Amino acid sequence: MYKIINKSVKRIDAYEKVTGKAKYGADLNLTHQLYAKTVYSKYPHAKILKIDTREAERLEGVVAVITAEDVPGNNIMFGKFPVLAKDEVKYIGDGVAAVAAESREIVEKAVRLIKVEYQKLAGVFNIKEAIDKNNGKVHSEIEDNLIEHSHHLLRSGDIEKGFKEADVILERTYQTQFVDQAYIEPEAIIVIPDPYKVGVEIHGSIQNPYSIRTNVATVLGLKINQVKVVQSTIGGSFGGKDESVMLMAARSAIIAMKTGRPVKMVLTREESFLESSKRHASKAKYKIGAKRDGTIVAVENNVYTQGGAYNNKAMFVNWRASIHAAGPYAIPNIKTDIYGVYTNTVYGGAYRGFSAPQIVFANESLIDELAEELNISPQEIRIKNCLKPGDELGTGQILLPGKIPAPLEKMINNVCKKTDFESKRKKYIKERESFNPIKKGIGLSCTFRGAGLGGEGIDSASATVTIDIDGSILIQSGLVEMGQGMRTAHAQIVAEVLGVSLDRITFCNTDTSVTLDCGPTVASRGTLAGGNAMLIAARKLLDRLHKRAAIMLDCNIIDLVSENNFIFNRLDKSRKLTFKEVVEECLKGQGLSLSAQGWYTPGPEKLSSETGRGNAYPTYSYGASVIELNVDTQTGKINVEKIVAGYEIGRAINPQIVKGQFYGGILQGLGYALIEEVRNKDGYLETKNYDDFLIPSSFDMPEMEVTIYESDDPVGPFRAKSVGELGIELMAPAVANALYNATGKRIRELPLNLERVLLGKTLRK
Amino acid sequence: MAANRKIELNIKVNNKDYKLFIASNKRLLDVLRDDLGLTGVKEGCAIGECGACTVIMNGKNVCSCMILAGQAEGAEIITIEGLEGPKGELHPLQEAFMETGAVQCGFCTPGMILSSLVLLKNNPSPTEEEIKEAISGNFCRCTGYKQIIEAVQLAAERMRGGGM
Amino acid sequence: MQNFNFIRPDNLEEACDLLVRYKDRAKLITGGTDLIIALREEKLPNCLEIIIDISNLKELNYIKEEGKYIRIGSGVRHAEIANNKLIKKYAPVLSMASSVVGSPQIRNKGTIAGNIITASPAADTIPALIVLDSILVIRKGKEKRKMFLKDVFEGPNKVNLKSDEIVCEIYFEKLPLGAKSNFIKLARRNAVDKSRMNIAVVAQQNKNKEITNIRISVGSLTPIPERFKDAEDLLLGKLPTQDLIQKAGKKIAEEMINKSGYRWSTEYKEPVVKSLIDRVLNGIVEVE
Repeated sequence: MYKIINKSVKRIDAYEKVTGKAKYGADLNLTHQLYAKTVYSKYPHAKILKIDTREAERLEGVVAVITAEDVPGNNIMFGKFPVLAKDEVKYIGDGVAAVAAESREIVEKAVRLIKVEYQKLAGVFNIKEAIDKNNGKVHSEIEDNLIEHSHHLLRSGDIEKGFKEADVILERTYQTQFVDQAYIEPEAIIVIPDPYKVGVEIHGSIQNPYSIRTNVATVLGLKINQVKVVQSTIGGSFGGKDESVMLMAARSAIIAMKTGRPVKMVLTREESFLESSKRHASKAKYKIGAKRDGTIVAVENNVYTQGGAYNNKAMFVNWRASIHAAGPYAIPNIKTDIYGVYTNTVYGGAYRGFSAPQIVFANESLIDELAEELNISPQEIRIKNCLKPGDELGTGQILLPGKIPAPLEKMINNVCKKTDFESKRKKYIKERESFNPIKKGIGLSCTFRGAGLGGEGIDSASATVTIDIDGSILIQSGLVEMGQGMRTAHAQIVAEVLGVSLDRITFCNTDTSVTLDCGPTVASRGTLAGGNAMLIAARKLLDRLHKRAAIMLDCNIIDLVSENNFIFNRLDKSRKLTFKEVVEECLKGQGLSLSAQGWYTPGPEKLSSETGRGNAYPTYSYGASVIELNVDTQTGKINVEKIVAGYEIGRAINPQIVKGQFYGGILQGLGYALIEEVRNKDGYLETKNYDDFLIPSSFDMPEMEVTIYESDDPVGPFRAKSVGELGIELMAPAVANALYNATGKRIRELPLNLERVLLGKTLRK
Repeated sequence: MAANRKIELNIKVNNKDYKLFIASNKRLLDVLRDDLGLTGVKEGCAIGECGACTVIMNGKNVCSCMILAGQAEGAEIITIEGLEGPKGELHPLQEAFMETGAVQCGFCTPGMILSSLVLLKNNPSPTEEEIKEAISGNFCRCTGYKQIIEAVQLAAERMRGGGM
Repeated sequence: MQNFNFIRPDNLEEACDLLVRYKDRAKLITGGTDLIIALREEKLPNCLEIIIDISNLKELNYIKEEGKYIRIGSGVRHAEIANNKLIKKYAPVLSMASSVVGSPQIRNKGTIAGNIITASPAADTIPALIVLDSILVIRKGKEKRKMFLKDVFEGPNKVNLKSDEIVCEIYFEKLPLGAKSNFIKLARRNAVDKSRMNIAVVAQQNKNKEITNIRISVGSLTPIPERFKDAEDLLLGKLPTQDLIQKAGKKIAEEMINKSGYRWSTEYKEPVVKSLIDRVLNGIVEVE
């Protein structure tokens, strides 16, 4: 029934990528450009006594050196990030000065010539130290190291009563590590002074052009319209190309304004690991109460996320966590508290999942522990408690049949059936005693995920669709392509609505002077919100075209159909016009506008700040997975053999791209579960490049069988909802559960690396 | 500290001969990107781990960040820009990468295609394990490698058939 | 990137002369996979003036059979060693080790001579070369000297070679007919990862199944790569039993602690080396 959507068409940005022609930030060069580099802190926490830039300034070819003194506007950006640290460095990635020179070689030499005198200070380096009041403060104005607005809670039912009703109560603590998004393209920025606007134009690997624009304007003391941000092709971001890029853009913009020359700043991988955001490390205390038959009656949790020195995400990350922390289960009594803390370490930000990888690891490990305690199978306990049609979430939101789907029961049963879960699980328990040191294990996990921003912010999105005289179509969105396939999904939606072939459509890079601010490209909202905006814009144009075509074909508008580049009367298909003929008549004959803007907004969600209750999200996506692995009990090495996963996403605009999102999410989820860890030692970063921060290679990926479940969820465009983040969060708990199945060892801390699996603890130098 | 004397470098890149005078401490990666404008060669880590800077040098895939420019004297180099035919026809690997969804952010794609090309030149019918082995030095953060492996299989099949 | 001048001599003699002339002010480059990282981080001494590229010298690029010896030029890449027929036939342990170094790209570039000079305790080829009792041919100007590979190491990342010396060749005796060899690599990631531990072994049994030849070397265990003689002595001349093999593993773990002290990683490495020794020997030895 659909012509373009729901089909695995070729990505519209594939050609430039397979030919190497796509221009990423570092590929852009301008005449007379300067090369800029940041001088980073030497200590995780120290007073800056003196910055001596003279020697660097004397080096031939150095054009500008800036420190905090040179910031014309506000030195402090959203989340307390200083463009350059002024009196104090609060973590090892703080910039203290920036240098610009005629060449990359000169600037590399110059940064070594900046002399900074420090007075070392004691610091707080982990959650425990941050909470302990005797350990000092990261920010002098914040007594308890709690990140502002980062405490989010959920109160549902009567938690004390709930635990009284329970036959079994378990209390467990789970911990997760910092990890880096580890996109293969390091951050790159080029800032061009714009004499007309007396401002700047910024190009580069920018995930969120509008927030960068606002922050840079504040730093420069300019109006927003004096700063223009144009997104280059982005080599992966996953939430990461935000704060670091904001800092680079701000520093480069100051230099560009000062020198009147274009400024290029490209991070090395080491600088990227040092300065870019990480997935928050976390410590989650859970208490769960259940009846003997497996019915969960109460969940109480207390989760701390480690925010690092500065933070502009914990307040949002933690809100999402508060909605999902009790898992995809119908539980009458819930008490959830999530807090974020400052530490003198690298900082937490957005990374695909946005709290889900941490809390789903905790919660889905806990459910298995509960099942074990009750001597019920992991499948049965989930089936018994999982959200079903008509159930009420902890927030009070009801999963109304026909409005919000609740397919978990079917999905859990399907992945279990496909993998023969229960019989293998029992068999592997028996084999724990066998002679063979290589043990097999199988593990289950399931999840639900609020689609889009929900109550976290306004989920509005913009789109502009413009048809030109030759029938070609330009589409623009305020949301960005980072590799996820959003442009292709948007183009498919527009092509479907207008009844044209996909080759007519080109996509315009996000440019803040042309496209409308519709918030950041986060929360898996590109297709959900952005696609809806495209749908609205395309439908407006279709109306205009059909109005004209009805006159041209002398028929009723309602009888017109657009398909295959034709507009025809469905009652008499011989009565037809080419799409181009109608376009020509509209533009040239009638002088109509064939440019339309789509503005989608689901409206603000209302939640109570006292209880956290309300309709948190318009709808939810779901996932269930089974992992089969083997573990070498003599070395602690886990080999994941196979993953069978199902994801409910409404409708796949492009099934091939959707699957690609899940395969990639699975990779990042497995990396998180097994090998990835940003290690800090007393605030110093130990993992500096890909030889220390290990990400999965082709040899680390198992067989993957992904099933897409479609539903009649009405929220998204053509019923499509969120995809991007869902793949990742099921992996760590399924691996931990499978490891338990194989060995009888429960490990509550990630990653499940060699030492932890063998010894139950990690070893530190 | 020594000064960087310029050295003469004669290389053949994408079937074209070049005589360059370059600073002696440049890497092959810098020469390709900065002097020849071949920005399809990417820099990801600069320590020979990620494979984004992969090029084919004298028939072998190497990390161009791990080669001093002078070491490429007399070498024949192929970058992603050298894969298209004279009329812009894409190589079967490029076509296959587009068709199977092997491309997401695209940053690893040039290196990934070049490592796959070396494989298929030496082994027209690789097994899945052999494909994994061939691309094990090219990190991809987006795809989970599955659709990349499918692309290499598809291209291998078409190249064996001589259809393209 | 550090500054330097780049010289590519036409032959080995010229390279040797340059090195004698420049000494500390020169560095050789073959594969360059370690050197270029150091240059980028500006970790080489400030006196560095020239990089001498010997990566294309034909005189250093050979694998040949000469009587009872196999000779490998120091410019040969890991990939060539991994796939070479002579090596596969006469020293399979080296082929196995070379085939798991880094990534295909690194194997196409890196050399065993580079592995030796860098002297990383985690290098994959070194334990294999150690169990082959390899000998280095070293040149200084026109003079040649030989030394056992095991004697070249002074400590982690340290070799006792003079700055004007070039390693030209690595050679070893072919493994005798009937000798078996094995190699195991343990790493966190399944490709492109430095070894957490690696083990190379050679073993031979006579027709009574007694062990007549045994050589064991383990990487990442001791400051200097070496053969574990105590464990070898325990096995030599004996009829291997599971018990005996376990004792050998225990001996090696003890030796590790004696030589390296009880370090942060010992708690992990001690049980793991025992298990892996067990596994690697059981892979080639017929046990009673």
